Parts: sequence; structure tokens; C-alpha cells
Amino acid sequence: MTTIDKKCILACIDGSELSDAVIEQAIWLANNSQSPIKFLHTIEHSHLSEQVHHVGTLTPNMTENLLNELTDEERTESKRLIAEGKTILTNAVLRAEQAGLTNIIAKQRHGTLSEVLHDLELEIEIVVLGATGQNHNGDKKGLGSQLEEAIRVIHQPIVIVKKPFVVPRNLMLAYNGSPTSKKAIEIIKKDLFSTQLCNIHIVSVQRNIEDAQRLVEEVETALSSFNCIVKTTALKGEPVELLTRYQQEHHIDLTMMGAFSHGKIHGFMFGSFTTQMLLDGSSNFFLLR
Amino acid sequence: MLLSAKQDWLGNIRGDILAGIVVAIALIPEAIAFSIIAGVDPKVGLYASFAIAFIIAIVGGRAGMISAATAATALLMVTLVKDFGLQYLLVATILAGILQIVAGYLNLHKFMSFVSKSVMTGFLNALAILIFMAQLPELLNVTWHVYALTAAGLGIIYLFPYLPVIGKILPSPLINIIALTALVYFLGIDVRTIGDMGDLPDTLPIFLWPDVPLNLETLAIVLPYSLSIAVVGLLESLMTANVIDELTDTQSDKKRECKGQGIANIGSGLIGGMAGCAMIGQSIINVKSGGRGRLSAMTAGVVLLILVVFLSDILKIVPMAALVAVMIMVSIGTFNWSSLKELRTNPKSASAVMIATVVVVVWTHNLAFGVFTGILIGALFMAQRLSQFMYIESNYDEATDTRSYNVVGQIFFNSSDKFISLFDYKEAVDKVVIDVHRAHFWDITAVAALDKVVIKLRREGADVSIIGLNEASETLLDKFAVHDKPEEIEKIMGGH
Repeated sequence: MTTIDKKCILACIDGSELSDAVIEQAIWLANNSQSPIKFLHTIEHSHLSEQVHHVGTLTPNMTENLLNELTDEERTESKRLIAEGKTILTNAVLRAEQAGLTNIIAKQRHGTLSEVLHDLELEIEIVVLGATGQNHNGDKKGLGSQLEEAIRVIHQPIVIVKKPFVVPRNLMLAYNGSPTSKKAIEIIKKDLFSTQLCNIHIVSVQRNIEDAQRLVEEVETALSSFNCIVKTTALKGEPVELLTRYQQEHHIDLTMMGAFSHGKIHGFMFGSFTTQMLLDGSSNFFLLR
Repeated sequence: MLLSAKQDWLGNIRGDILAGIVVAIALIPEAIAFSIIAGVDPKVGLYASFAIAFIIAIVGGRAGMISAATAATALLMVTLVKDFGLQYLLVATILAGILQIVAGYLNLHKFMSFVSKSVMTGFLNALAILIFMAQLPELLNVTWHVYALTAAGLGIIYLFPYLPVIGKILPSPLINIIALTALVYFLGIDVRTIGDMGDLPDTLPIFLWPDVPLNLETLAIVLPYSLSIAVVGLLESLMTANVIDELTDTQSDKKRECKGQGIANIGSGLIGGMAGCAMIGQSIINVKSGGRGRLSAMTAGVVLLILVVFLSDILKIVPMAALVAVMIMVSIGTFNWSSLKELRTNPKSASAVMIATVVVVVWTHNLAFGVFTGILIGALFMAQRLSQFMYIESNYDEATDTRSYNVVGQIFFNSSDKFISLFDYKEAVDKVVIDVHRAHFWDITAVAALDKVVIKLRREGADVSIIGLNEASETLLDKFAVHDKPEEIEKIMGGH
């Protein structure tokens, strides 16, 4: 099967701390899904110049001179970033080869992560991203500056890596009956995560316990024909708090949930459930759009 | 969107604030000078610059671009101010803003594609010449002190940057102003100062509705001015946006910029400011000073206002010579000097367009007229060139006494006469076949030309038949979108 007709596992790497985990996670997914693996490194231009002059004098042919200066400066920056990216990609490809994968692609593109993901959307089966990126200097916020925008632009499943990769043993599905969380059931059935080997925790948190109970039963029925260990829990209360506590108590490795079902304005006004989960959660995430 | 908005505002805070301060300092003398060009008190231009820079920071479509009171728009107001006064200028400013918003909604920014590089160069050169000419009243019939001061000012502006360390930190135009002001003040030299030119702002601006009767008569007075201001303002703004796009290798939202310019002008008019637009020179200074985000324009506006309100007593004693020196610098900096060299190397038609643009602007003092002239002449040259893309092959078949013409190429208003002349009407033949399947009839002039050829040939006694008319007239249908597809373009370029 060629790379053109088969969608790929896209691993976005930038050489930051989590890139290793992203690479391993993607290799594991590619092995499970038999899809090609593609490593992506984006070259993001700051378009900020280091050589600024505050003299405020308009000199003859200033536009041309400034254009040349800025072009030279950005060219140097781009060349450096491309070279850095090549090293990161070469290393990733090597590791994929060592893991026995054969269909490996390395790609570099200019632009912000969300721009590039938008351009590549049609080639993507699953995206693997690190929760924090390159210029992340222990920011309190705990999430990469580009993460939310990147998650919003694509409509394919996304794996957000928060900690070093382990083969998932405990997988949690945060289920609220939404179309995206229903998709998650299909993914489980596809056995993408070798789900038959691990415990599946179906957790539903609702305002009243009856609803939650009804929802987990719904999943139980849906998975009844599927050969796996399912543990269901219905809870009442504040979802982010209860779900993150559940993650810790049950050593969840991977949390599956729907992401950003509300618009940006809603998120801006009320705070987004997804963002809060990504921030507070202790596991890796599998987000469905 | 929210994220990119955040990036626009907060992506470069330190760089933007520093650049904004540099721009504010550079804006003050320009705003005063442009007020003098328009014939209004300096405070009108200063309030305008504050309002426009501040508002455009929020509503503009190009982060990092600086808008304020400009020479291009000031030049259009001169007679309105002289004949009807400031209040009418304020109404004209608001109306120009409304027109610009309408232009934004009508997507008129797309017409910028008609403005060629030559026209843009002509625009800038003409602007530079007009800014320089506007300084002449300050330099004619004055004492030698003024010349000496102006020369000293220019010397400071251009040589100060060569000084070690401080030359790289302090803005030389500002040093020029401080030095000349100190000189004039302490030596008691009797020359004109900014205070002689009219009121400076002594308070923060206040919201004011222009004091004019709102009737059709007023509309008839201000509409022509508003239209000119709106057009010139958008032209310079979109041109500047293109320059900044290129410099920073980023995109801008031209439609939003049109509407933003409109909102900014309305805001300016309502606090007693004149109309303005984007400024090429200031925007470049901003980029060079490290300004990239929206914060720099906003900082420029706020710092400008604070400086002028608190320093108005000092500004009053700044000699006009210092201001003239700054404006000569602006003029020299705006002029595209390499365009002079390129006069020899560029195609004659390009030079003609550039020069025509300059001449018409300098003659009418209206940059819009120059740009229209440039576009028109450029389009004519283009039509002239396209009409060369046509020829006719002809064959004679003795057996049937048939002359066949095979027409290839583009036939439109400008090539139709040539088309008609390529047939031999004096030849006595029985049959004529005109094969047009590899020709394109772009307009009804072309169709009429074909009719004319057929009639002429019939009169000479030939039986005329035409082959391939359907293909040839496809281009008549005005459905240009059809030709966006490669295979359609191939048809036209390569014949059917």
C-alpha cells in the first residue's frame, strides 16, 4: 500500500522534552494500525528582527534596504531552523526504522503548527502532539502555546502526550453520550490501542447519577460483543475534578474523550472543559473531534 | 482567531512599545506640518494622528502599520478649508470615513491589482515632491537665518546617526528639533515658530459634532472632497499594507483595513481631527524599529497625545526651520531614488506610466488623479501589446477559386482595425473561407469587425463562409471564471 492512498500517523516533533514520548507513541500507533508514519517538523518564523534601529530617520531607499536586511536575517534563521529540524527528523526516522517500521516519511514545512496541520489534514489518520512545545520555560499554564489552536483546526483524532510513553494498561473513556464520545467506542472496537490487552474504564460524570448510570450502561451494551475487560463507573458532580481524580486513583495511561465540542466564544466565556482536562489530567489523552 | 488576535497584540510587547515611542516622536513634526499644508491649526493634525493611530491599532487589517494625518490627504483639503473652514473639513472627514467603510464592504480593495508597480513608484515620487513643495512657503522670502537653521537641521538629521553610541540610540530628527529650538530660544533669533502657525492642543481631545447645517447643500460641498480623501486614503493605505506585507513576510486583511481606515477617520472627525491614512514612511520606521504588532500603533497614538498635551508650551517655540528640515528628510526618504536610474533600463512604457502619474499629481495636487492616469495609460499600453498577438494566414486554392483565411490570435477593440486590414478585398475570387477557430473575439467591436469584413467581401462578389465561430466567440460571454482552469487557458493561449 502506498503512502498516497493510506492516511498516516502524524507525529509532530520539535526537539522539546516530550518529543521522545511523541515519537514512541506514534511508532506504537503505526505498528498497531499498519499505517505509514510521518514525522513533521514545522519551521515557525517569528518575523521579529534582532537588528532594530530606533533612530527614526527616513533614509533614501529605506524600503529596499530594510527588505534586504530582513530577508538576510530571516534566511539565516530559516537555514538554522531547517538544519535543526533535519537532525530531529533524522533521529526520529532512525528510531522508527529500529522499531521495524518501513513506511516512514519525514516532512518539514514552514508555518505555525495549526497552519501546517490544516494544510496536511487530508493525509492524517491520527496526530500525535506533545502537550508542551519548544519554548516552554516551565510556564505555569502547563500547556503548549499552540496546542489549543492546533487541536481546533483538525478534525482527526489527536493524541496529546503529557508523559513518557508506556504501552497503555489502563485506558479511560470519559463518556458523556456526545457524538464524539460515541466515536471513541468505535475506535476501541477497532483495537487501535491493543485494547484487548488492557483494562477499559468507562467513566461518566453527570449532574445526576441516573443519567450517568444510563450512559455507562449504554457503553456496556455497545461493547458487550467486544472481548475486553470493561469497568464502568457512574459519578455525580464536577467532571474535570472527578475525572482527573479517577485518572490518578486508577493509574490511567490514556484518556479518551471528545474535544472542543463548543465554539471558541463559549470556551472564552466559560472556560473550556477540554483545556482544563488537558491541564489537570495526569495521563496522555486521545481526543476525538 | 482569538489566539492570533492575542499574538497581534501581545506577541512583541517590548518591541512594539519601543517602536511606538520612536514613531510617536517622528509623528509629531509630521502631523504639525500636514496641518499647515491643509491650512488648519496644528492641533487638528495632532488630534487626528492620535485618533487614527489609536483606532486603527484596534480595527485595522495590518498589524505593524502606522496610520495618522498624512500629506496625501492633507493636500486634498486645502481649498475646502480655505473656502468653507474647519467645520466643513470635519464633516468631510467623517463622510470620507463612511465612504471607506462602504468601499470595504464592496470589496473595492480588489481593484488594487490594477495599480502597477510603475503607478506605485509614481505615487511615492509625486508624494515626495508635493511634501517638498509644501515646505517652500517656509523657505521663500525669509531671512538667511532660516536657511542656516534648515541646513543645520538637515546636517544634524543625516550626520548625527554616525556619532558613536548616542547616534544609534537617539532619533536624529528629535535632536534636530531640540538643538534648533534651544539655539533660537537662547540666541533670541527672530524666526517663525510652530506657535505662529496656530493653536496647539492644550487639553485632551473632546467629542464634538461638527457645527454645520446637515443638509444637501453641505453634502454637495463636502462630497467631492470626501470622495478624493477616501480614494487617496485607501490607495496609500493598501499600498503601505502591501509594503509591510512584503517587509515582514506576513499577510494582512485588506478588507478589514479599508473598513478600519473608515472607522479611524470617523473617529478623527468627531474629536476635531482631519482625515488621514496609512503612512509609508512611518510604517517603515516602525518596522525598522522592531514594531510588528498592533500595540506599536496604539503606543504611538497615546505617546503622541501625552507628549503634545504636556509639551505644548515647548512645541510652540520650535522654529519652523526645524520642522522644514524634518519634512525635507521625509520627502527625500519617500522618493524612490532608484526609480531615476531605472528610467534608463525599464521599458519606455513603464517609465511613461510612472512619469505621467507624477506629472498629473504634481499638477492637480490630487494623488487619485495621478493614479487613475497611470492606470489608464498602463492599460492602454497593455491593450497595444495584446493587439500584436494576432495574425492571419491565407491560402488560395486554384481548383475551386477559393481564398481561405486562417485567423489566429486575440481580436478586441484595439486589434479590430488591424484585423480588418489584413484581408485582401481587391482580389477577385469566387469563394472566401474565413477560419476563426483559433481566434478569440473578446468584445462586440471584434464581432462587428468580422461582420464588416464579411460584408466587404460579399460586395466584391465572393461567397463568404466562416468556420469555427462558436469557439472564437466563447470569450465574449464575459464568464472570465471559466478561463481559470488550465485547460481553458490552454485553449486560449494555444488555439482551440
